[in-house]
Amino acid sequence: MELLRDNVEPEDIAIFSGFTLSATFWLLLSTLVGVLISFKFPYPDFLTSPYLSFGRLRAIHTNDTFYGWASVALCGAALYVAARTSGVALRKKRFAWAGLILFNLAAICGTTTLDLGISHGSQEYREWVWWVILLFLAALVCVFVCLVSTVARRVEREIYISNWYTIGAFVFTILLGITAYVPSYQYGMGQVAVQAFYMHNAVGMWFTFLALGVTYYALPKLLNRPIYSYSLGVLGFWTNLFFYPMIGAHHYEFTPLPWWFQTLAIVFSVGMLVPVWAGTGNFFLTMRYSWETVRRSYALPFIVVGVAYYFLGSTQGTVEAFRGLQALWHLTSYTVGHSHATMYGFITFIAWGAIYALLPRATGKRPSLLITGLHFWLATVGVTAYVVFLSVGGTEQGITWASGNPFIASVDAAAPYWVGRAAAGVAMFAAHLFFAYNVYLMTFAPGRETLRYERTPQRVSA
Amino acid sequence: MNNVWTLIAASAIIYGAFCIAMGVVPGVAMSHLKPLPGAQPLNAQQARGRGIYVSEGCSYCHTQNIRPLAQDKVFGRPSVGEDYVYDTPQLLGTERTGPDLTNIGLRQPSDVWQYIHLWDPRAVVHDSIMPRYTWLFEVKKNADPGDITVPVPPGFAPSGEVVVPSPQAQELVAYLKSLKQVPLPGAGAK
Repeated sequence: MELLRDNVEPEDIAIFSGFTLSATFWLLLSTLVGVLISFKFPYPDFLTSPYLSFGRLRAIHTNDTFYGWASVALCGAALYVAARTSGVALRKKRFAWAGLILFNLAAICGTTTLDLGISHGSQEYREWVWWVILLFLAALVCVFVCLVSTVARRVEREIYISNWYTIGAFVFTILLGITAYVPSYQYGMGQVAVQAFYMHNAVGMWFTFLALGVTYYALPKLLNRPIYSYSLGVLGFWTNLFFYPMIGAHHYEFTPLPWWFQTLAIVFSVGMLVPVWAGTGNFFLTMRYSWETVRRSYALPFIVVGVAYYFLGSTQGTVEAFRGLQALWHLTSYTVGHSHATMYGFITFIAWGAIYALLPRATGKRPSLLITGLHFWLATVGVTAYVVFLSVGGTEQGITWASGNPFIASVDAAAPYWVGRAAAGVAMFAAHLFFAYNVYLMTFAPGRETLRYERTPQRVSA
Repeated sequence: MNNVWTLIAASAIIYGAFCIAMGVVPGVAMSHLKPLPGAQPLNAQQARGRGIYVSEGCSYCHTQNIRPLAQDKVFGRPSVGEDYVYDTPQLLGTERTGPDLTNIGLRQPSDVWQYIHLWDPRAVVHDSIMPRYTWLFEVKKNADPGDITVPVPPGFAPSGEVVVPSPQAQELVAYLKSLKQVPLPGAGAK
């Protein structure tokens, strides 16, 4: 199947390219920081400075991957998907540009303030102070305006399932951000309760929805066959919406949050198997009989790994929520392994798959096959090693505590696995350098416009 | 669903209800607990110290949350919601790369130990992987009148010079020393 170029307005190409370039910059920065702090486990005296200390850089790593990389990469893809599925060019493009500027402003201010020690509190993904998150929410509103205006002008009668997911993601996340950052009702344990809700929903109501939305477009497009079941997609949408908001408290098991409240979260964590298995089953059934196409594609292997990690990471999340296993694994490095299985194995791989699938169609420029292969294998082997090292190391930490050893024994037990994790992190960062070079080839690189246009003319908007 | 506005409205109403039920209501309910008898709010110096604890991200490695589990008994009694009445932003933490600090004020009540440990954790705990917080100290040729000098073991500080904790280090240590659980009412003598 020949890869063909979409008929797209030049400014739509520029918007998609701009979002991807910006996201790539923050991916490189945030994962460079990640590699640096992973080396501080074996070498705690390496780069002793307030501005390069573990406690400040950890928040920079997590927030910049969250808000600077994954959000922006998936927003760029979501806008492109909205235009393609609606059969029109992007509407209100100025809002897309404003969104991109605000995303970057938020990431720059967030990184700077955290490095200066100005923080909303060490609450994961809620470290940015209120005015920085306000910039981010303003960016969301801007991109949302562009997205909705485009879908509202669609040629088809039905709203394609991708746009259900992406529009939902924006609605949920804007509401979630407001709920989490209004300060006047959260003190002490009350703030813990809100943090449990916010932190987990920021992952599952934002990134999961965006990633599934772009997959529902990219996967059938790449395979040149329809999605296996539209109904499973709709089932996934509603069950994710109804189950996910209930499960946040499983991050605070065995805390003073009410016991029944924690139990409720565990019960719905099991419920999450419904949307996860519906979604992954749907994707794998769409891919069945097409493994030769997958093997020959630039983008499909990334989506395969992304869907596999969606299945593994989310199912792991359900299992991890059981009290018997939380007692062993909670507070250990196991949790960090899990968050990389999901935010990296799932979300980041889907973002790469979407970019490799769609950006060449927009710009007409292919990535390098060799560089894509290096990117794929370094990232896949890297993240898998990362998760395995921290899962085993975290389990050892938990067992050491449970056997009543002095605390430092758990540090000694995990130490070799932390070295392994740092090595895996280097492989992952190397993969990002190859990805960045490919992004250059797909955007700025001169003389690479080799793709032929699709025959179907575009319905140009008025 | 064929109308984009219906989709937006339905999503917003359903999720808005979840935000209230699972976010706002638990947040409000848990924000109005009464402090335990004997619990004191931090004084100004300790509160500034807590600010440094937040800025430096101490709680990425140190929890302040004792679970009702056998392996947590070593840190104190299980935490209750009332323990956190004066704790905003909350510092329960989600990782325990270093030990829990709920009762560090009881476990390590010595200023000297805390200063040496912040200057170089490996001077007191050989295998520790905690960062050094050298920027909370001044290294001088001679101590000025009124300076506290930290008796750093030989080999862990420049020889011929003295290590003096800055006001920030004093605030942080004041905060750490304030971290002590108060007994639960009716818990009886133990």
